[in-house]
Formats: sequence, C-alpha cells, structure tokens
Amino acid sequence: MNEGEIIKYLRNRFGNKIRRTDICRDRRFYINVDSDCLKDVCKVIFRDLDARFITSIGVDERQYNGGFLVAHNFAFDSWKLLCSLQTNVDGDSPSVQSITDIVPASNWAEREFRDLLGIEPVGHIYPKRLVLPDGWPDGVYPLRKDFPYDSVPEGFDENRSFKFDDAPPGCVVVPFGPFHPTLDEPAHFRLYVEGEMVRGCEYRGFMAHRGIEKLGESVLTYNEIPMAAERICGICGCVHNVAYAQAVENAVGIMPPPRSEYIRTVMLELERLHSHLLWVGLACHISGFDTLFMHCFRIREPVMWIAEKISGNRKTYALCLIGGVRWDITEELNQELREVIGKLETSWREVVKAVEKDSNLQKRTRGVGIADKKLVKESALLGPVARAAGVPIDSRRDHPYAAYNRVEFDVVVSDFCDVWGRLIVRMYEVFESIKIIRQCLQKIEPGSIQAIITDEIPVGRFGMSSVEAPRGECHHFVITGENNRPRRWRVRAPTYQNLQGVPTMIKDQQLADMTLALASIDPCFSCTDRLETVDIKTGKVRVYSAKELETLFLWR
Amino acid sequence: MEMMIKILSALTNVVIVLAVAPLIEGIMRKITARIQSRQGPPILQPYYDLMKLLIKEDIESGESPSMQRFSAIMAFASALTVVALLPLGFGYGLSSHTDIILTIYLLTFCGVCTLIAGLAAGSTYSLVGISREMMLMIPLEPILAVALIIAATNSGSFKLDAVLNGSIYNSPGIFPISSIIILVIILASFQAYAQRVPFDISEAETEIMDGPLVEYSGPKLALFKYSRMIRLVIYCALFIGLFVPWGSNLMFPFGFLIFWFKVLLLVLLVTVVAATHARYRIDQAINYFAIMLLVSFFALALASIGL
Repeated sequence: MNEGEIIKYLRNRFGNKIRRTDICRDRRFYINVDSDCLKDVCKVIFRDLDARFITSIGVDERQYNGGFLVAHNFAFDSWKLLCSLQTNVDGDSPSVQSITDIVPASNWAEREFRDLLGIEPVGHIYPKRLVLPDGWPDGVYPLRKDFPYDSVPEGFDENRSFKFDDAPPGCVVVPFGPFHPTLDEPAHFRLYVEGEMVRGCEYRGFMAHRGIEKLGESVLTYNEIPMAAERICGICGCVHNVAYAQAVENAVGIMPPPRSEYIRTVMLELERLHSHLLWVGLACHISGFDTLFMHCFRIREPVMWIAEKISGNRKTYALCLIGGVRWDITEELNQELREVIGKLETSWREVVKAVEKDSNLQKRTRGVGIADKKLVKESALLGPVARAAGVPIDSRRDHPYAAYNRVEFDVVVSDFCDVWGRLIVRMYEVFESIKIIRQCLQKIEPGSIQAIITDEIPVGRFGMSSVEAPRGECHHFVITGENNRPRRWRVRAPTYQNLQGVPTMIKDQQLADMTLALASIDPCFSCTDRLETVDIKTGKVRVYSAKELETLFLWR
Repeated sequence: MEMMIKILSALTNVVIVLAVAPLIEGIMRKITARIQSRQGPPILQPYYDLMKLLIKEDIESGESPSMQRFSAIMAFASALTVVALLPLGFGYGLSSHTDIILTIYLLTFCGVCTLIAGLAAGSTYSLVGISREMMLMIPLEPILAVALIIAATNSGSFKLDAVLNGSIYNSPGIFPISSIIILVIILASFQAYAQRVPFDISEAETEIMDGPLVEYSGPKLALFKYSRMIRLVIYCALFIGLFVPWGSNLMFPFGFLIFWFKVLLLVLLVTVVAATHARYRIDQAINYFAIMLLVSFFALALASIGL
C-alpha cells in the first residue's frame, strides 16, 4: 500500500473521526484523529497493517490553540513509509487514551510525556515515574512552555527516594549499577535473583537526564542544535547530528547538495565501523576474552584517526548544518580513507575467522538473551537485535536518506535470536559498511557541500527523520517554530526501545549472562551528572555535589 | 644437624617463593600483553603493586572486620606453610616429615579462607562469588586428592617425599594407565587451580567485580593477591612433583634451575590458555568438572586394582 491507500483504508474504517490527513515529501504522512478513537486507530495500524511503533510525542501547544498535541509515530517498513498519528488534547486537564495494552512498546514513551508534560495516559499498564528525578515535586512539568529551562522547582525534595516494587517471593535483590565495571554509564537494574537465576528486574534510569530537548526548544538556534544533538550520545553522536538536520530539512523542504549527502553517508558509516568494532571488543571483554578485546581496539584506532583528519575530532565530528555539511573530503583524504578501510577489511576478516571458530565463545553466547520475533514486534526492538531475530529492518534501506539510495549493500540478518546472532550480525555489518564507504568514495560528485538558504524557516511544519544508528533506528521529530528554533524537537535513540526488551531477555537466565545480554543491545545511556574541577596550579581536586552545582549555575 | 638443614631448607623455600611469586605474575602479565599486541607493564609491576597496597591505610569495610583480617592473614599463612613443606628444587626438605593429607588440608583451608573473606565482607557480589567458589571447590579438591592418592597407592606411602618423586608411574601393572589418565585430567583442570580464565568464575571482574574480594583494599587485598600468586607456584610444584619430577633432585644449581624452568613452562601454558579463551559460566564449568571427577574416580578404581 502507499500513503493514499492507507488513509483511504482508515477513512473507510473510521469515517469522520479522521480529521485531517497530510501527505508530505519523502514518503511521510500525518493523520490527525479524534482523541476518542486514537486507541482503535492505533490498533488497526499496529495489528492489522503491521506497522512498527517508533515513539510517542507530547507537545505543549497551549499558546497557539489552547491544548496539547499527542503523536504516535509508526513506520511501515515494507512499504517504506513513516506515519505520525496525532490527536489534540484538552489544555486544562490533559489526558489521552493509553495505547500500552495494544502497543506494549509505547510503555516508556507515554510515561515520558506523562512526566514531562503532564498528559495523563489513561489506562497505562505501569504508570510509574520514569524520567524525572526522585525528588521532583508532583504537578510540575518541565517540558511545558511556561516552565523556564533554567529553574529548579519549588519543593524539590532531595531526600525523597524512589519506591521500587517488591521482589517476588524467594528471590534475593542483586543491585546492578548505577556503577558497575561493565556499565559505562549510570543506570540501575534491581535484579531479582534466585540462586544463580535471574527471575526478573526493575529498571531505574534517566539518572543523567540533561534536558537537551528543552534546551533545543528554548535556548539554542537551528544551526546550534546539531552540535548539542551530537552530544546526546558518547559513541554514535554523528547519527543524532544528521538525523536532526534531516528532520528540519524534511519539514521545510531544503535539499542538501549531493556531495554533502555522500559525505554524510561516509561519516555515518565510519561511525558504524568504530562503534561495531568497539562493541565486538566489549562483548569479548565481558565474556573474559581480553585478547580479542585488545585486538579489536587496535584495529579500530585507524578509523578514529582518519575521522580526526577529516573532521578535526576522533568522535565528535560536528558534521552537519541545516542543508549541508561543514567538512569536505578532499582527494587526498579520499585516497587515505580507501587505504584505511582496505587494511581494516583484511584484519577484520582475521578477527571474524577467529571468532567463528571459537567454540568457547559460542558456548557463552548461544541461547543467551533471547529476543525472538514476537518480542521484537511487541517491544519494537531495533537494529542488530531485531536483525539477529530474523526481522530484516534497516532504515538505510527502508527509509533511505543521504546517499543510501545510490549505493548497494545487504541487510545482514541472522536467525539465532541470541547474543551470538547479534555478534554475527554486527561483525558482518562491518563489511557492508566498508562496501558502502568504497562506493561513496567512488561515486562522490564534485560541487558545493552546503545548500544556500535565503528564506526564513517557515513556522509550524512537521518533520521526521529516521537514521540507522549502529544500535538501530534513531528517530528525530521536529516541529518548526519561531525565534529561529524548533517549537518541539523529540529524539528517540535506539536504546530507548531496546532497553525495554532487556527485562524479558534476561528473565530466567543465569546471573553470569546478565551483563552479556544487556551489553548485546549495545546500550547507550547518557552521562555527566556531576562536575569535577582540577586546579592546575595546586593540583587540588574539588568535587561538587548536586546542591553546590545548583548554587553555582543557578545563581540568578 | 640434619633436622637443622631441613628446617633451614623449608625457610629458604618460603623466602624464595615470596621473592619469586610476584615475578612469575609479572612474566604472565608481560606475555599476556604481548599476545594482545600491547606493550604491557614492567615485569616488576606486581612488586610495586604489592608494595603500594601494603603501605596503604587498612580500611575496615564490610560486616565483620576482625573476621576479614583473620581470613586475609590465614590465607597467606596457610599458603606459606604449604610452601615450607614442598620440595622446590633442592632436596625434599620437610616433605619427608609430612604427608599428603596435611597438604590437601592446608590447600583446602587456603580456599576456605577466601570463602570466609567473602562471607565476612557481606556484600551481595561477594556472596555470589563465594557460592561460585564453593561450587568449584566441590569437584576440584577431590580431583587433586585422587591424583595424590593414586601416587600414594603406587608408592605405598602417604609421605610427601615418597609421593612427589614420580612414583605415580610405579604401578604394579605393565603400563600405568591410571596415572596417565589423571595426568591428563589435572592438566585439563590446571587453569582452575591457577584461578585463571576460563575458570576464574568466582572472581569474574565483568560480572561480579572480583567476587569475594570486592570489599577489600590495602594490606588485606595485598595478602590475598600475594597468596594467590603463591598458590600458583604451589600447584605448579605439586604438578611437577607428581608427574615430571625428573631432574629436580640434581646437585644444587642444576636441580634448582631445572625445577624453576619447568615452573616457567607451566606458567607459560597457563598464560597462553588464559589469553585465548573466554570465561565459562558456572554451570558449564561444573558440568565440565563433573565429567573430570567421574573419570578421575574411574582412574582411582583402575589404580586400586593395580593398573
């Protein structure tokens, strides 16, 4: 089906309850429905039309129309379509039908707009605080437009602690995190363990929520946001950078020049290379195979160097502006990049051969962290986790962006459903990335790398962009706004969905496999919740507490 | 006078092992680094580490500090006692005055000290660690005991000097089948005795953060680390005494050098295996050792009927 047919199908089912529809460029479409039939439409889209849930978004539109907007984004991967299903919500006592009983994957996304915007999802299966810190007072919603970005609410109670669920009978609670050697970022899992078996867990994350969306909507400008977006992730920053720029370009119809699209593709694939090499290394480290871990990092290093040569940085490329890129790949760099990926390919082949022959490693990873097709659908799992379960989704092919429609590559799929499958998928994706980079370097067209934008960016347009990060699809949703900044910018990183599948993946597994299963989604939490200063002259280290930080930065 | 010499040789044993054990650790780390194409730490690094830990403040963390201190000292002391009894390249020393029962007892006690350490610390991770350690001890100790008993059967004595001189091959039969079987089993389990990958399950840094030792720092950690290094030497010495004792009893410099050369070869083997394997899960390891244990009992049965 195409956009028109889907809309027709829905109109036949729901008649006037479908208020407005809008078909936009790049195979995206928007449907606005009455709020009382939101759940039924979701059911048809998710179950009958077999769409994949992306995320839910809440928007404070009270200053324009007195209400809120709730959007559920879906992807029709086989028809190459992205859809945003929206409904308007009353401004005074905002509530909306929860779709969690039909789409379990929307669990976190709905709790997020409940926490941040105060839109109550009625009938939510697990309505517990998700994003806000423990001491945050009830009834204060930071993402509403009347909440200043730099204030601490009245009544913030530092001593209030989070109330965890009770452990099931006969189980011991093993705390995992916030700090653990295999967890590079703060996140807390309360594992319920019986002997050596994990019977369940509760997750408490968002410990370092930095409010980047709020910053983007209230402080930064269109061309500053890419640099902030990049800092969302410590390893796949370029993905966010590109996804944001593309969402804005999609909203207002800016066409970046072809050369910049090739450069975006090359940089995204370079990022995938270093991310996958890092992950394979970490997986080996976690299973105690440090030799391969060291070799992976040795092989990975030249990728970082060439990225530094192109962009000036090993990791934070600061690549995109709206309508183009900032760094060109010169003829000289082109040559050097070819040499680097040539060498990488040879040494990676050796690693893959070594891993495939290693029965010991297979023993540790086979049958661990099972995520089958059903879990992938219900929790909307993404990227290598989905592909290792035999679900061939890949935004690069399904929702092509940048130059991906001009290169040939395969989507690597495996049927193991376990950590071993994810290892295989990631290892072979490295070869696909190399293939893509080679083609780009060959096909890259001469010309400008930045579109000239003369007009102001129009207000109130919707834009969506899906970019295949190394961990899965990264989705950005933008509503353009006044003051040279978006009115709403929503980021859904792949780990947001994949992490929701982890409790099922580790259930009834050995405690020893927990770290491996968790790492197999390549989790990417976010950091920085404390600040440390070092006085260079005296070498004296001072660590600030949260309280001190507040007084330091919120003196006004 | 003869007794004096024996006691002196036992003391020399202790001094030599105290001096050499960290060096062996250093060599292992260097070789591992080379396999991983790294520069690696200086060979003397373990000495620096131990010294640094020993002069650090003794922090009392955990549930019962006195028990923790006790277990650290006892682990170290029992390891050193075993060292004093073993033949390490010059004569049999005190080993003619002791027997395999005492050796097994002391080795087990050293392991039990780790359990006490974890239990006294009382953290969740250390509890998981000691439960794993305990599960591993259940098959490992009997396997070692079976090896020593086969040797005792074949030599006709429980005395350590009679057992640790290759008499394991002196079976009444034509060919010492049981001895060969137990040799293979001990070799295949050696990583576990050395507490290295793939059988360092009870410590598993990436899973349970060093398990029993998670709460330890400073001098107590130094003692545990030291006794772990010494245990590696002990198991090497036991293996050499049981299965490849030839040459160790030559005149002073030769026997001594040959002995430590053999230790070095064993350590090299341990290092290479550790560097090329992933860690087993506890259930996989238990299955593995259960089979080993069954086969070793079979070997014991063979030995008892003189094969």
